[in-house]
Amino acid sequence: MGRPRQFDETVAVGAAAAVFCQRGYASTSIDHLVDTTGVHRGSLYGAFGSKHGMFLRVLDAVDATEASSTERLDVILVGLLELAPTDPRVRERIEGLLEAHAITEEQLGRRLLARAWLQDEKEST
Amino acid sequence: MSSNRVTVTPERLLVEPIGLNKLWSFTRRLQVPLEHVRGATFDPGMRDEPKGWRGPGLGLPGKLSGTFHADGGKQFWNISGYERTVVITLDPEEKFDRLVITVDDPHQVVDSINGALSTS
Repeated sequence: MGRPRQFDETVAVGAAAAVFCQRGYASTSIDHLVDTTGVHRGSLYGAFGSKHGMFLRVLDAVDATEASSTERLDVILVGLLELAPTDPRVRERIEGLLEAHAITEEQLGRRLLARAWLQDEKEST
Repeated sequence: MSSNRVTVTPERLLVEPIGLNKLWSFTRRLQVPLEHVRGATFDPGMRDEPKGWRGPGLGLPGKLSGTFHADGGKQFWNISGYERTVVITLDPEEKFDRLVITVDDPHQVVDSINGALSTS
């Protein structure tokens, strides 16, 4: 048995979401996640199992109503581009998010352009 | 050359140390039902991680093979260098809570394990 968990999972997942949105999934290493969350590597593996497990938790977190719509769209875009084509679990959860929050193709497209500074940020929300 | 052969079937994960690694690690093969596998991650950063105490196994700079006790659990290490390290986490029902292994193609191994978990 490992030591009792000594970190706030919600805070760690929030910090992980920011890193995934900034760097993308593939370019985010466990070192980046350890540095940003401040959580020991062993504890991250203990709590989330893997980087993939952590991304699934991030998807769950942005499903919550308190999550900002911009962050939700960014996480969805990262998942759609990098994981959904080959990963049924991610594809399924994103499908659920799109339905639950009535996210349209237009919203996704606008946010994608806004991230690339090709459209006014205000229009994406 | 890889230190481990990894095979994923719809039911189980198989990790086989290659050649003399069997001897150093005191392990011919590890078989884990897929439902006890939590996930796999490519993680060269394991280089800086405390390895804990060894027993039984081999521990040289950049070459670890066998059972290591850290984080209040037991980990199986079989690595030659850290550049192609994959970490596989397992459920508490298993003998080891983590397998840390060198493979030829870490991205392919990680994707095949996480992909199999998606469909299991």
